[in-house]
Amino acid sequence: MYVKKGFSKKKLEALAEDVVLTEKLSPAQEAEARKQLAAARKKTQAGMTEQERLIANLLQLKFRLEAYIDNKEYDNQLTFGYFLKEYLQLIHKKRNEFAAEIDIHETLLSQLINNHRAPSESVIIRLELHSNNAIPATYWYRLVEKQKEHFIGTNKELRKAEKKFVKNPLRVSI
Amino acid sequence: MEIIELASGERKSVIITETLKSDLKNLTEERFFFNWRTLEDSPIVYKLQLKEKEGILGVMGLIHFPDEARVEIKLITSSRENIGKKKKYEGIVGCLIGYACQLSLMKYGEMACVSLVPKTEIRRHYMEKYGMEDAGWQLFLDGWRLLNIVKKYVLCM
Repeated sequence: MYVKKGFSKKKLEALAEDVVLTEKLSPAQEAEARKQLAAARKKTQAGMTEQERLIANLLQLKFRLEAYIDNKEYDNQLTFGYFLKEYLQLIHKKRNEFAAEIDIHETLLSQLINNHRAPSESVIIRLELHSNNAIPATYWYRLVEKQKEHFIGTNKELRKAEKKFVKNPLRVSI
Repeated sequence: MEIIELASGERKSVIITETLKSDLKNLTEERFFFNWRTLEDSPIVYKLQLKEKEGILGVMGLIHFPDEARVEIKLITSSRENIGKKKKYEGIVGCLIGYACQLSLMKYGEMACVSLVPKTEIRRHYMEKYGMEDAGWQLFLDGWRLLNIVKKYVLCM
């Protein structure tokens, strides 16, 4: 399905730079290919250093965060606290240890993780510094803003409570 | 992600997104070396475009294997004017392979893997150019090899 038949080796080599052509395997060949790949990956995975694992997991968090803040959809599971907890897990730090490293009280860290409190600018900057710029402060900031935007845009109770303070509202609508 | 405009030497930012149904009618064999419409739902097809203007410059078909923490490249083609010695832009295939690595990394973290079953005659090219490892039928990227591709083509380091 993915292969054009009848190309000479020379033609294929000329195309390799700009086109990736693959072979269609039979079910038996495919099963064999999976076994071979699993065996080869076992070796490369075993050879991965702790630093490489950390970089891979940090990039995973960075790309997930990036994808979420660039997406218009809001997901109430993907909060600041959720991503902060993920960060702690991937660097294998206990809460008290991490709180000490960014010089905040452990209670405040728990409040941030449980979304009981919004982070200050200094906490956001400290997170960037702690990750050695792997996760920029602007990512954390945009995440908090996304939550705030959703809260402001959808909160009916707040509108109801504030209505009594507004007099003589405009009577035109646009 | 960036590709290079060969006439000016300028680096141009690109974006890669999933194709829409409306894109498929333009992905003809004449323009993209393969009639992408025949693939339908499997694999998932992604397109590469310049950030500054419309028009598809490259297309990639991927199949996800979540049980194996792996993404398999089924096909990548550049647009007709970007194939051969007179091509307009350099780096389209590299960016698309980089994007496959980014997707795999995003889903599987340290277990991320990208593989493909290339034509026998050209497997050495992918091993030399992208540092792919040989696993018999398949070539693959994982571990530091995959991270290198992400750093080069996605993070432009």
